[in-house]
Amino acid sequence: MDSVIDLSPELWVATYETLYIVGFSLFFGGLGGLLLGIGLYTTRAGSILGNSAVFGTLNIIVNIFRPIPFIIFLAAAQPLARAVTGTGIGNSAIIFTLSLAAAFGISRIVEQNLLTVQPGVIEAARSVGAGRLRIILTILIPEALGPLILGYTFIFVALVDMSAVAGYVGGGGLGNFAIQYGYRQFNPWVTWAAVIVIILLVQAVQFLGNVLARKALRR
Amino acid sequence: MPLISLQDVTKSFPPGRRGGDPVRAIDNVSLDIEAGEIYGIIGYSGAGKSTLVRLINALEKATSGTIIVDGHQVTNVPDRQLRKLRLDIGMIFQQFNLFNAKTVWNNVAYPLRVAGKSREEIQARVTELLDFVGLADKASNYPEQLSGGQKQRVGIARALATSPKILLADEATSALDPETTHEVLRLLRRVNEELGITIVVITHEMDVIQTLATKVAVMDGGRIVEQGDVFDVFSNPRQASSQRFVSTVVRGIPAPDELAALRERHAGRIVTFSFRDGDSSQASVFLELAAAGVEFELIYGGINDIRGRAFGHLTLALTGPGASIDAALASLAARTTVKELS
Ligand SMILES: Nc1ncnc2c1ncn2[C@@H]1O[C@H](COP(=O)(O)OP(=O)(O)OP(=O)(O)O)[C@@H](O)[C@H]1O
Ligand SMILES: [Mg+2]
Repeated sequence: MDSVIDLSPELWVATYETLYIVGFSLFFGGLGGLLLGIGLYTTRAGSILGNSAVFGTLNIIVNIFRPIPFIIFLAAAQPLARAVTGTGIGNSAIIFTLSLAAAFGISRIVEQNLLTVQPGVIEAARSVGAGRLRIILTILIPEALGPLILGYTFIFVALVDMSAVAGYVGGGGLGNFAIQYGYRQFNPWVTWAAVIVIILLVQAVQFLGNVLARKALRR
Repeated sequence: MPLISLQDVTKSFPPGRRGGDPVRAIDNVSLDIEAGEIYGIIGYSGAGKSTLVRLINALEKATSGTIIVDGHQVTNVPDRQLRKLRLDIGMIFQQFNLFNAKTVWNNVAYPLRVAGKSREEIQARVTELLDFVGLADKASNYPEQLSGGQKQRVGIARALATSPKILLADEATSALDPETTHEVLRLLRRVNEELGITIVVITHEMDVIQTLATKVAVMDGGRIVEQGDVFDVFSNPRQASSQRFVSTVVRGIPAPDELAALRERHAGRIVTFSFRDGDSSQASVFLELAAAGVEFELIYGGINDIRGRAFGHLTLALTGPGASIDAALASLAARTTVKELS
């Protein structure tokens, strides 16, 4: 018990680091996933940019990378992370790799949510002369906003989970904290403290996501 | 020159599965629609009605043939030009297709934003349109807070926003109850009469054609099998599929099973007299029968009114001396359509 109090400054730093890693990954991965998801949705046969070659390519890329377990992906993508961020270790490297991995997962969530928009609504926008980019920005995304927010909330939770292995490449965060001070030092209290912080974090974000989604759906 | 003109238009969709035949949704259709008309297109599900109207605003591209709208070629033109053309063609839908994430006001303003109108123009035009469809008080509501009829009125306001010359209505009332249907049909009639907008209405409901349209085309299997004035097609449908549609609203000649039931209950010969506006009056028919000593009883039929012109079919059971009936029928046949049902 006392050790938890002793370690509380480290716990706060770890919490901050988790938020830092997850926040940036959600931003970059979210953006990449949004673009990729829109790409998947719009190039599907019969959609506004219907192009089966592009769709097929994107689809295969997503299908190849999405199922790779993150810890393996992390190791495999290290050279790429080094090339892009200048370092293969630490928080920058983990943010890069996490964003990349998340983008593939997010793209499917985005694609699925966009598919729930009634095709007739898109057709109505076309019938008044709206162009494709305008339709994507002013009709498609606003119409799917509620479920998209819930999807991104879900991804936040997944990112907290994935970021727990950051310690393997010299990154920080709550996962690293729990392993370094709790598991390795045979101190379950410390591990549990990290668990509680994670639960609170996830609850808070889920609550926020629900509120925003309800606002978007007006229900 | 007609406002909308289709010449030998064909539209094929790629086959649903590999190795299948392409679907010929529109099969060599030619059609002229004059400015100011309310043109009805009727046909069963899958006849190609929706595809036909979607060709007019180029939501669908024709496989072959020529489509000219308001003097502009619609086939084989670049996308940018098509988008401009669509500002001149409004469209409303069976499922309304309102933008759920936008208020009523923003739904109606959307086409104006697309058209690049100024804030003041948008303000004025949306106000005017919401007044026209009677929804000024719903401006800040979201579509989900409206009834079906109100949603369709928003759809109409949105379709009219850019002051188009043409309004395409694809099953615009099929999702509505009869009362609301009439309300929306009345509004469409006002759109035509007060704003002078040409309307193309697609429907599988004959009474929509009867109350609204001036001209009608009957579609079957991607072809137009019959077209003409609503009165002519209703009073004298020539094709089997037109006859089936007409019989849904016009109580005309009894069907075989109905005839059998009538025979059981009535003695004598059963004869149908068909009247059209301008033919000899019913009264003269009845007088002549009476004068010939033929007794008659009205057993089936009805008179219909289409925009002030009447037509109908009356089926009578005639009793009396065979020779007098024959003579009377022969004389009447010269003045009206007589058909003895055997
Ligand atoms: N995008 C498409 N791809 C393939 N086939 C299509 C497509 N759109 C329509 N069809 C086919 O074209 C034919 C005509 O369809 P269309 O929707 O025009 O009929 P409709 O008369 O409007 O029917 P309904 O009354 O059910 O709306 C049908 O056989 C349909 O399956
Ligand atoms: Mg249809």
